[in-house]
Amino acid sequence: FYFFLVQSLDPLPMHGRDLGVHPDDLIEPPEQEQESKQEILENKDVVVQHVNIEGLGRTKEDLLGYEISDVFHAKSLIDVRVCHTSMSTLHCTCLKQKPVLGTDALPNGLDVTFEVTEIKRLTGSYNTMVGNNEGSMVLGLKLPNMFGRAEKLTFQFSYGTKETSYGLSFFKPQPGFFERNLTLNLYKVTGQFPWSSLKETDRGVSAELNFPLGVTSHTLKWEGVWRELGCLARSASFAVREESGHSLKSAVSHTVSVDSRNSAIFPSRGALFRINQELAGYTGGDASFLKEDFELQLNRRLFWDSVLSASLWGGMLYPIKGQPSCIADRFYLGGPTSVRGFGMYSIGPQSEGDYLGGEAYWAGGLHLYTPLPFRPGKGGFGDLFRTHFFLNAGNLCNLNYGEGPQAHLQKLAECIRWSYGAGIVLRLGNIARLELNYCVPMGVQSGDRYILRFTQICKISVI
Amino acid sequence: MSLAAEAFVSQLAAAEPWPENATLYQPLKEDQILLSDHASSLAVQAYLRMCGLPVQVLCRVNSEFMSPSGKIPFIHVGNQVVSELGPIVQFTKAKGHSLSDGLDDVQRAEMKAYMELVNNMLLTAELYIQWCDDATAAEISRPRYSSPYSWPLSKILAYQKQWEVRRKMNAIGWGGKTLQQVYEDVSQCCQALSQRLGMQPYFFNKQPTELDALVFGHLFTILTTRLTSSELAERVKSYSNLLSFCRRIEQTYFEDKSS
Repeated sequence: FYFFLVQSLDPLPMHGRDLGVHPDDLIEPPEQEQESKQEILENKDVVVQHVNIEGLGRTKEDLLGYEISDVFHAKSLIDVRVCHTSMSTLHCTCLKQKPVLGTDALPNGLDVTFEVTEIKRLTGSYNTMVGNNEGSMVLGLKLPNMFGRAEKLTFQFSYGTKETSYGLSFFKPQPGFFERNLTLNLYKVTGQFPWSSLKETDRGVSAELNFPLGVTSHTLKWEGVWRELGCLARSASFAVREESGHSLKSAVSHTVSVDSRNSAIFPSRGALFRINQELAGYTGGDASFLKEDFELQLNRRLFWDSVLSASLWGGMLYPIKGQPSCIADRFYLGGPTSVRGFGMYSIGPQSEGDYLGGEAYWAGGLHLYTPLPFRPGKGGFGDLFRTHFFLNAGNLCNLNYGEGPQAHLQKLAECIRWSYGAGIVLRLGNIARLELNYCVPMGVQSGDRYILRFTQICKISVI
Repeated sequence: MSLAAEAFVSQLAAAEPWPENATLYQPLKEDQILLSDHASSLAVQAYLRMCGLPVQVLCRVNSEFMSPSGKIPFIHVGNQVVSELGPIVQFTKAKGHSLSDGLDDVQRAEMKAYMELVNNMLLTAELYIQWCDDATAAEISRPRYSSPYSWPLSKILAYQKQWEVRRKMNAIGWGGKTLQQVYEDVSQCCQALSQRLGMQPYFFNKQPTELDALVFGHLFTILTTRLTSSELAERVKSYSNLLSFCRRIEQTYFEDKSS
């Protein structure tokens, strides 16, 4: 693969040297030492004239154009070396450069050769997982860079003692703009929800388009799911038994989010704002509803390395065409991810101990994160821990859509559940946090399940 | 149900009297329910009427999946859910209502034997005709079974049910039978029932039992359901005492309301 440079660097005034070059060619930077052509030009201004890439197989040329365009802007050898690490589909094993020879050579011109090996065509993984009274074997297969333009095909299969699930996913980014991409999914997943005595099997296909627009990032998604609901135990309440059976949901959804936080787990500054809407029923299927939900989070660093974080969530489900909403579509509230001190998803409408979810909810939290007292293990392990003081509140209910917005707000404002407390938080990598809290639940309504003044160990994954 | 579970349910059931708001669930009557399900549902309804227990019939699209055993019909009494005629008979017995108390042991064994005959012959023949006969399956069973769902779920569920029933038929040895053989089996079953009934009003003379309810449910449904061919109904009609038996039960127990 051979690339010939026609681009120019930042325009600089010529210094009277007659280089005998075309106007389109490079303009030489003012400082230039005439070094021996055999010496390595560290930290000296260079001009990349030719780029060769050796060792290619299936990767296509147009993709590479984007990948190595940065190399041509390199002004020094260090820049050139930095560029080669950004190629995602290739693994660059060796970077050679040598001075250009030939009639079009400039005194500081470089001929760069990348020797690359492409990622293997097929990679596999095998894991065993144990948890929730179930053991399972998970097999994963990945085909990266399938057709030469950074497409990726992933297959995951999980075989367990109770349930089997699988997923096939095809990811295609736009060459040169990896943030614009298309994902196609085919999956079967099963879930068990003991707080509702419900088990759900979803078999579905989805197509998702991601693209950035200014500071926001958008996702447009269509999803078609065959849902099968069943009772988890013979003692399930009749309200849950009535929801058993099959239904088909075909929904279009749109998400817009703005995220300026500096970390997903322990952000110390920035904000997150996300709105999601989903419309089901107009592209086929049985389920018919409009669903809106939003999330807002603000973080601010205060005195002494502590961070104040405020968050607010809310959502509403509006059934269309006169059909009642399905238990699988409704919102749930409670537990370590929303209102601490209450059982997992155990707030709101319930029947005989099974929580049915609600059509409208809001939840809010105010957290103060501080480093551990006396800062043990500072600079190392101790930095993963934080103490936090929190105040959580929320409400979940069904709305009577015949009444106006005043009545809705009033209903959401009465019977607020809230809790306060303190605890220790541990960060696990970049994906999860572990909390140990002492909570005092307040505003408990009849039917909610709460944990009274007990320490609570909970695991949260933050998306 | 295991013995321990049965005893437990009986204990619970015996505690409360039969409530006013007992309900029976079945698929939609006009568009969805099939011959075999309708027969089973009618048998349970007849039995409860014979016992004098009020029950309201509710039609739900997902009754088959709501039922704890997956079979139609099931009743919701108090906070108990019981499905199929056999367990329902046990359940009402625990509450003190029974039709077969007056029978001695020999008659009870005979009644159980005839009930097994109806379940193994008539019910299986109904399932065979619905799902294993291609004409009936394509014209009646699949469209009706899938009518509440939208495409493509309707196709998936209808074919899934058909494969399930065909697998079951193969397992019990009915997979290789032809339609004519099945009709012959129905005739033989009806002959046995007709002979046992004779000129009596009910199978065990004066009082109806659960066997009468079961036979009524199946025969009445066969006589009044339109299939692709009327041969099944004709075979039953050829036994006049069974015809008058059905008419008698309909007039006695179903005349006040339309069934």
